[in-house]
Amino acid sequence: MTEIEKKKKRDKIKFTTISVISLCVFFGVWYVATAVMHLMPDYSLPSPVQVVEAFFYKLGNKAPDGGTLFQHIAASLKVALTGYLLGAVIGIPLGICMAWFRRIDLFVTPLFDLVRPVPTIAWIPLMILWFGIGLGAKAAIIFVSAFIPCVINSYAGIKQTRPVHLWVAQTFGASRTKMLFTVAIPTAMPLIFTGLRISLQAAWTTLCAAEMLAANKGLGYMIQLNRSLARADLIIVGMLTIGLIGTIFSVVLGKMEKKMVRGGSKS
Amino acid sequence: MEQNGRIENPMISMKQVKKRFESDGRVKEVVDTFNLDVKENEFVVLFGPGQCGKTTLINLIAGLELPTEGEIQVDGKKVEAPGPDRGVVYQTTALFPFCTVMGNVEFGPKSRGIDKKTRRERAQYFIDLVGLQGFEKSFPNQLSGGMRQRVGIARAYCNDPKVMLLDEPFGHLDAQTRYMMEEELEKIWQKEKRTVVFVTNNIEEAVYLADRIILLTNCPTKIKAEYQVDLPRPRSYVDPAFLKLRQEILDNTDETL
Amino acid sequence: MKHMNEKMEKTLYAVLAIASFFLAWELLTAFTPAGETTPGPVEVLRLLFTSFFEPIGKFTIYGHLYYSIRRVLVGYVVATVLGIIVGIAMGTSRYAEAIIKPLFELIRPIPPIAWIPLVILWFGVGELPKYTIIFIGSFTNVTLNAYTGAQRVDPQLIGCAKMLGTSDRDIFLRVILPSSLPQIFAGMQVALSTAWMAVLAAEMIGAQEGCGWIILRGSDTTNIPLVLVGMVVIGVVGLLLATIMRIAERRLCAWNRMDV
Repeated sequence: MTEIEKKKKRDKIKFTTISVISLCVFFGVWYVATAVMHLMPDYSLPSPVQVVEAFFYKLGNKAPDGGTLFQHIAASLKVALTGYLLGAVIGIPLGICMAWFRRIDLFVTPLFDLVRPVPTIAWIPLMILWFGIGLGAKAAIIFVSAFIPCVINSYAGIKQTRPVHLWVAQTFGASRTKMLFTVAIPTAMPLIFTGLRISLQAAWTTLCAAEMLAANKGLGYMIQLNRSLARADLIIVGMLTIGLIGTIFSVVLGKMEKKMVRGGSKS
Repeated sequence: MEQNGRIENPMISMKQVKKRFESDGRVKEVVDTFNLDVKENEFVVLFGPGQCGKTTLINLIAGLELPTEGEIQVDGKKVEAPGPDRGVVYQTTALFPFCTVMGNVEFGPKSRGIDKKTRRERAQYFIDLVGLQGFEKSFPNQLSGGMRQRVGIARAYCNDPKVMLLDEPFGHLDAQTRYMMEEELEKIWQKEKRTVVFVTNNIEEAVYLADRIILLTNCPTKIKAEYQVDLPRPRSYVDPAFLKLRQEILDNTDETL
Repeated sequence: MKHMNEKMEKTLYAVLAIASFFLAWELLTAFTPAGETTPGPVEVLRLLFTSFFEPIGKFTIYGHLYYSIRRVLVGYVVATVLGIIVGIAMGTSRYAEAIIKPLFELIRPIPPIAWIPLVILWFGVGELPKYTIIFIGSFTNVTLNAYTGAQRVDPQLIGCAKMLGTSDRDIFLRVILPSSLPQIFAGMQVALSTAWMAVLAAEMIGAQEGCGWIILRGSDTTNIPLVLVGMVVIGVVGLLLATIMRIAERRLCAWNRMDV
């Protein structure tokens, strides 16, 4: 092994150690400040140990918020995925049509631009008034939040198609419909996937807000209810679960993207 | 043809310089036992085939890389780090994209804390010299390739270096612009003499500009031969003496892969 | 001439589309059962107009706007300044990166809205919890972008600056910072829209004033026109904030666009 490689390896070990120490210090300070020095009351900042205990407690117990952790996760996932899939299934084709057909572009794009600046969270009260506080209202809100990035990105993706590629297809005698499927959509694939990823994150964030405002199950409801019960340990468990599921989503979509887009952009 | 004659009080002196890179457990010899002295205000062209070692030579003199063995001195001082006594012009210009032409040219003097009026005057002089008057407020992305190289040259000059290092500065330009820039550079150099080390893989460029051509071998880079160019300036690309020297050097050049 | 025609056609279609949208909305609410739950555009416009001088709750629309925008600005400005510093530190120093990155990665996946309960528990219902939530919402975006921006600075530019005799401090101020500015600006734009969303959420969950409160108030009193007025105001402000950022970006990062 050469000198430079040795140094690289030493550096890697050194900086990984620093990272580990940094995390240890963070949890150490948190532990000492709460469990040893009691700088903040347990109900507002529990020690890390209490959070871990609360996590295991929550796996099997419904109290105090009416559901185990898995029941809340299941409720949130059901709403999020319903709204998300609807948003993607309607949003992507709409974006593609808006970019590909001139008349649709001219007519629908101004309407879309009219609605787009309103953040999805602001739709929550209206949706609740229209659909009540059941699955429908929340799915509708998630739908809006997922729908918008899907439309924007598939629209931009199709608009990216290079005229040269279309000319090539034309000289082969491809029809316009054929060109859409063989040239434009493959070109748009990477951006469509970006849209899918952004909208999944947006959907998940919006879901939290929706469940805090109107729900009787779900992770957003769980943290909001435990706020009124002053159970910070359960709030933190909920927050970490929300973060973890968000991370899993983006990892899974990233993997899918790698597989799909590689095939798509080559053709 | 003279061989490795040492010069008294050289501006640049490279003694027994070697440079090796190590990667993936393999050692790659890039520069091998390199001895070179450059006189003050001499225009030396390093000419050679391939991609190997020439940029490294420039980086070594610039102090951006250090030799594995041997020593390099500029104006009697050992090179250990980059410094304002040496100005570099790169192939890809490396202009600051967020600075205007004026901002780029006055970057060096500003760094050394020279007051605004003096440095502006100075920068303006070199902007005029490279023929860019009227473009002071343009950003690099608004300029053509040739104009960007002019900015690069003005920027290096404006910092008043003792040595100018040019690393294939016209390598990315089209043939027409390239001829024009070679003429321009010669004029600028005649007006503002500096010690120049110029790297190229274009033989016409080498013969057109050089006082002395150092012919390099391909990987690891060594000196294969030296040619003193005594043709009167400005030179002509079709002068029989020019063509003869060009052919002589080419015949002696290693085949490139 | 073709260009002119295209532009005119575009405007014509846009006017047509928006007009037919409002007409359909008005007709639907006037002549179908939808009108029982949803007001028509005329009613909404009338209420929007009166809300400029008749107070909703404690304030007129101006007062609510003032509160919302102040909250966003305080949280956002603090987050931006801190985010740029932390991000560039991470991008330029391997020590800073090794120390901060794991903590940052631990906290980043949690959406800012999920912080609301904990922050309210910590700071109550005053202004501080709102600033904090907006801070969290903006900070991650700015930091992440400053970090990648600083990492991507062309090493040749730094070499160049060194050759020109630039000091380390000047290299930071005159090379690294301006080089990463476009990336930072991209982060600041996303951060501002996140901040605007976060303030709405915060105001809907615990406040007595602000734009988020208006729609929640409308919802609580089943006053749908008020909900829609709130949404219109929020949309317009959001659009204005985004436009201001775009103009600032155009000014500051002119060198970065190819089509100048």
